[in-house]
Amino acid sequence: MTFINYVAREINCKIVYYGPGLGGKTTNLQYVYQITSAENKGKLISLATETERTLFFDFLPIEFGQIRGFRTRFHLYTVPGQVFYDSSRKLILKGVDGVVFVADSQEERMDANLESVSNLADNLREQGFDLAKIPYVLQLNKRDLPGALPVEELQRQLLVKGEPCIEAVAPQGVGVLPTLKAVARQVLVELRKSA
Amino acid sequence: MSSPTFDLHELEFQRIQAILSKMQRELRAELVLLISRSGQPIVISGSTENIDCTALSSLAAANLAATDGLANIVGEREFSVLVHQGRQRSLFISDLMKRFSLVLVFDATASSGLVRYKCKHTTLLIEDVIRDFQRRIEKSEPASSLPQFSDAELEELLGS
Repeated sequence: MTFINYVAREINCKIVYYGPGLGGKTTNLQYVYQITSAENKGKLISLATETERTLFFDFLPIEFGQIRGFRTRFHLYTVPGQVFYDSSRKLILKGVDGVVFVADSQEERMDANLESVSNLADNLREQGFDLAKIPYVLQLNKRDLPGALPVEELQRQLLVKGEPCIEAVAPQGVGVLPTLKAVARQVLVELRKSA
Repeated sequence: MSSPTFDLHELEFQRIQAILSKMQRELRAELVLLISRSGQPIVISGSTENIDCTALSSLAAANLAATDGLANIVGEREFSVLVHQGRQRSLFISDLMKRFSLVLVFDATASSGLVRYKCKHTTLLIEDVIRDFQRRIEKSEPASSLPQFSDAELEELLGS
């Protein structure tokens, strides 16, 4: 649910990073946290297991700047990728404004990618959203690994609706900001349409 | 479809702020917040010096959502109230119209019964404000008056 505060002149939006386990969702947020100046970010909160796998979610509030005098604030969340945390994933999608799907480019993870896209569509539907209509970006992560499939093959199998598709190597920051900006752009365009 | 928006205008802000301030005073609570169920702080009353309200709102909303999930599993429609009792501070989280939540940080020695009673009363008052606002919008005002920014302004904000 986008929250527009006319008193504080703020636009607040919620972005969720979705995808299979160990795909790099948390790494995306960690990189955004690293490169964002202190005045434009809040605390990075990670609710993780003792082995640093996401248990519930990671959360990072950031601010891009102002548009027409309104501060644009984005609350970034990740979901736990492991299959058995499906209940948690559903909860985190509550009130979402835009989704980034972080796909793992490795051939052996293609089944996990496909299962996760399908799970995303189901869980969005349960929350009253339609994957075909919600702001959505596909990120092809781990492009540097030797087992990475060709981009065309990944796109053929994972593109849902002609969404922006961005190649990434999240630990090095490659493609991380372009992904975030692509989804933020779609969210703000949707907001402009509804205004 | 995309997510619905919630707009907060001056009049509603002032009314909700007054309601929260009154409750904060009466309970001597450290902090009272109205937050969205998606985890965004909407109106805050109290001292924010030692508490990160953005993080608090996000975790409180997630906590309430997880509690809803637990309720479903055990066959309850909802657990609408959550209380966390600490040594010095306690936390009270309650649902408001399924779209919002009321969050209180208060002294652990305060009566939890009184907190619960005041929260229930405050919830009803805030519901009235929100319903009034919805009625007003339906009658006369546009749903949102967000300035129409151009593509160029959007590109300037986000860069290439």
